[in-house]
Amino acid sequence: MRKVLAVAVNTFRETIRDRILGVIILFALAMIVASLWLASISLGQEGRMMKDFGLVAVSAFGLVVAVFVAASLVRKEVEKRTVFVIFSKPVSRSEFIWGKFVGFGATMLVVVGGMTLFLFAVTWAVARSPSAAILVAGLLVYVQLLVVMAVTVFFSTFSSAVLASVLGICVYVAGQLSHNVLSLTQVSHSEALKAVTRGVFYVIPNLSAVDLRASVVGEGAARWAGVAAWTAYLGAYVVIALLAASWSFGRKEF
Amino acid sequence: MRGARKLLLALSVAACVAVVVGYQSTRAAAGLSNPRVFVPKVSFYQRFSPAMRVTIGDVYWLFAVQYYGEHVDTDHRLDSLPATLDVVTSMSPRFKQAYFFGAFALLDAGRPDLGYALLERGFKANPNDWHFPFYLGFFAYTFASNKDKDRIAAQWYAKAAALPGHLPSVERLAADLYTKGNAKGKAIELWAQVYGQGDKYARDKAVAALDRLLPDDKTAREKAVARLKDLMPASRFDQFIADVFAGYL
Repeated sequence: MRKVLAVAVNTFRETIRDRILGVIILFALAMIVASLWLASISLGQEGRMMKDFGLVAVSAFGLVVAVFVAASLVRKEVEKRTVFVIFSKPVSRSEFIWGKFVGFGATMLVVVGGMTLFLFAVTWAVARSPSAAILVAGLLVYVQLLVVMAVTVFFSTFSSAVLASVLGICVYVAGQLSHNVLSLTQVSHSEALKAVTRGVFYVIPNLSAVDLRASVVGEGAARWAGVAAWTAYLGAYVVIALLAASWSFGRKEF
Repeated sequence: MRGARKLLLALSVAACVAVVVGYQSTRAAAGLSNPRVFVPKVSFYQRFSPAMRVTIGDVYWLFAVQYYGEHVDTDHRLDSLPATLDVVTSMSPRFKQAYFFGAFALLDAGRPDLGYALLERGFKANPNDWHFPFYLGFFAYTFASNKDKDRIAAQWYAKAAALPGHLPSVERLAADLYTKGNAKGKAIELWAQVYGQGDKYARDKAVAALDRLLPDDKTAREKAVARLKDLMPASRFDQFIADVFAGYL
């Protein structure tokens, strides 16, 4: 555990040094411009639009950072040969993977947290009423991104950084549409196809089962039991993806 | 030599900027966009996850506002407005502003019937908001052409009056329209409620209206008034009797 933490702290410092936090500033600028723009074109609905599109922007900005950094997290160490220095010490490959993930997870918490807090402040200023649901929704966006990060790290253990990034984005998109796969299993007449689509449904992370964006803008109330169950599901998915990444990385020959 | 190269570079950059700006400035200003816009059916978007549906609805809301603003005072063509509003309100059924704006924008599109239907759908999705039956009453009264329109409008206003937060005048409107629609019994009941809940102005209005609606015969009037006891607080009923029978003393 101490070794994982040591790698994590190092990864956190390294990713912060890469000026990833600049994304928050970019996001802040985008939100300020968007708030001025939306106020003039939304017929008095700027508060609602800010909340909805703001959370979409938190997801989008977070996804870009999560996927591109996670894809190079392990590869960079291998290409720079710094991985040999690490492995000359009593650090196992799986500890290295977990440490990298935890460290980058902490960085993403700062990134997504910063964007969410800024969105909260802007919507408070624009809509004149604080909406704590935005903070919870931001937290759920973070949990979603943890899954995408874990999957991307897994892909990066056996493919190039670019391919891992692309696959990570594909998994995110597929995860948003996973309920459609379930519909496919119900309409298909072929048992074999049903089995395959059901398998795909279990493999793809279900990123759309719960999303508080609808309740943030007043479309229905959040079911907290469902949110908790879904968070536990995503946590389990992250563990599985990281175990797979550790296994794949453990078989790699340098 | 170095100075000449720098000058050449600066001239090249300036020439390139001039070409880029020059080309763009010669483009014709965008004219009116086509009023017939392709809007996919709601069932297409229903396949998306709930959170995406809300965002899709909000994107179409922004589009609907721009589309209405662009066409309402120019070519007066709002062909795609009904379909757009259908998507907005189906994706975000609790987006009340969309129903209100949509209903009145559909008037400009020459389709009060669709505006009425939109408000009905909105009331189904938001049954506790008095604005919906209030506007439905307005639409029924203003745009319906059948002989029952007063009674239908009165029914909507009565529904609005039963919901929390309504304007005090809603009950009076309902009572007035029941009177016009020859639903005397309902009008009397509503005026009694107005008396029971209203201020001095509302009470005076109620007494004046009830004076016209209640039978002139004292015994018949007493019988009719006795039935209204449950419609107002007991503390007001004695004053009510005194007001309604003022001319008989």
